Amino acid sequence: MIDVRNLSKNYGDRPAIQNLNFTVAKGEVVGFLGPNGAGKSTTMKIITGYMAPSSGEVQVAGFDVFADPMEVKRRIGYLPETPPVYHDMFVTDYLTFVANLKGVDKTRVKSLVAGALEKTSLGDVRNRLIGNLSKGFKQRVGLAQALVSDPEILVLDEPTVGLDPMQVAEIRQLIRQLKGQHTIILSTHILPEVQASCEKVIIINRGRIVAEDSLDGLSRRMSGGGHMVTLRVRRNQDAVLSGLQKVAGVRRAVNSGNFIEVESDGNENAVEQIAGFVVGQGAGLLELRVQALALEDIFIKLTSGVATV
Amino acid sequence: MRAIHTIAWKDIKNLLTSPLFFIIAGLCTVLWSYTFIRNIMQFAENSRQNMGTEAGMNLQREVFMLHISQINLLFVFVVPALTMRLLAEEKRLRTYDLLLTSPVTATEIAVGKFLAGFGSVAALTAISFLYPLSVRAVTAFPMAPLLSAYLGVLLVSAAYVAVGLFASSLTESIVLSVVMGLIFNILLWFIAQGAGGESSPNVAAVLEYMSIGQHFLNFLLGSIKLKSVVFFVSLIGLFVFLTQRVVESSRWR
Repeated sequence: MIDVRNLSKNYGDRPAIQNLNFTVAKGEVVGFLGPNGAGKSTTMKIITGYMAPSSGEVQVAGFDVFADPMEVKRRIGYLPETPPVYHDMFVTDYLTFVANLKGVDKTRVKSLVAGALEKTSLGDVRNRLIGNLSKGFKQRVGLAQALVSDPEILVLDEPTVGLDPMQVAEIRQLIRQLKGQHTIILSTHILPEVQASCEKVIIINRGRIVAEDSLDGLSRRMSGGGHMVTLRVRRNQDAVLSGLQKVAGVRRAVNSGNFIEVESDGNENAVEQIAGFVVGQGAGLLELRVQALALEDIFIKLTSGVATV
Repeated sequence: MRAIHTIAWKDIKNLLTSPLFFIIAGLCTVLWSYTFIRNIMQFAENSRQNMGTEAGMNLQREVFMLHISQINLLFVFVVPALTMRLLAEEKRLRTYDLLLTSPVTATEIAVGKFLAGFGSVAALTAISFLYPLSVRAVTAFPMAPLLSAYLGVLLVSAAYVAVGLFASSLTESIVLSVVMGLIFNILLWFIAQGAGGESSPNVAAVLEYMSIGQHFLNFLLGSIKLKSVVFFVSLIGLFVFLTQRVVESSRWR
């Protein structure tokens, strides 16, 4: 669906992205991950036809972004970092304006606007001025704007930045619902976001791709099979901690405030041993969580240049 | 075509319902009401005194032309204020991203924006037209010269709109946009100044042809000259074209 080849962009002398190559298949939800300033937004702007690259090419749905910008733009819904909303317009008027601007069939404008309002649950505020809405609602209006033309491809640039946790959860929920209907590229520097919504991750750092894989594949490759077990106990935290060091399969156990974090060798037996040990100590086990080595750790490893995949 | 309509309609609705337009239109009417009534009283006084002695006392020349020159003077300053937000604000609020990633061409953006600006200025012109029209309740006068003068007003204000739009496309600062528009407008009027001191008659003729004042005066005097219409239309076309180039340039910069 999206085919990026040898893409580079310089701002003056400063290269923003260098030689990016990746493809996104139809229906995929791809997380575009990287620290601030890594070139995420630049790449997205080029894909949407907002700016031209210094070299390389991008094809969207078989159309070259520069030879056929109109065809490409018709197929893309784009949510920039700042939602592109007019503060002095009403929500419904604004979405109608965008639908017309995107050139959707005239007879479908009404139903598409209604559909976008429903998907983003903006029904209650449809007749309010966008300028009077909270930031979370403005962001949702921005998302509705990207959806309103029912595009094949959605490009979302940091869709949850600056929202409160409740709103973040809602937006992620929405993105999950959109899965299957659209091909989605989502950029973020927030890792749980990728874990929550994406199937595939492209990690980019200083303008270069450092990893491209499915979420599972990436964790498997990077973690070396390790698990992170997080424990919370009611009593005797220190005693449990020192005891845990000796349990078979535990690589490391550290105290992190109210929790004990245990890195195991990834064998399920080890988890069983740990659980058994804590219960045997009578420390009052309150919580036990097992995670494959978190994306966060992988991300830090990759972007600090310690490892390459 | 539909994109032009969409952009123009959205902007003209925003402009005409904005406090900015209401304040500008309100203040303009205050000024016009004051001066127009004074001029017409003066005219009535003069014609009573000169009853029978002086022929050629003429409403068009004594009252309407003053009114229209004043509209023109006002528009040099007011039109950039109406057009300042057209593109500068889109850039400032990042809604420019939406325009540039929608399937619309730079030409459609430039023309749509121009039409929106022109629409709002035309509304203001229509308000000013009520003044001479009201005189019709009192006395009959030939409409043709007045209409010709108003065609001139529409053309000259369309030129200011195109200039203001171009200024707005150059910056994301609204203040800078209005100041640039203003200076460009004044420049248009001052180009002809060069004609006086020019020794070469050819250059002087060119500068004179480029003088907005001379062409505008033709309309005021009730004569619609093709060369003047062509002059204004090309001026408008030039600045809309320049705007289109600036919008287009963001694609390859």
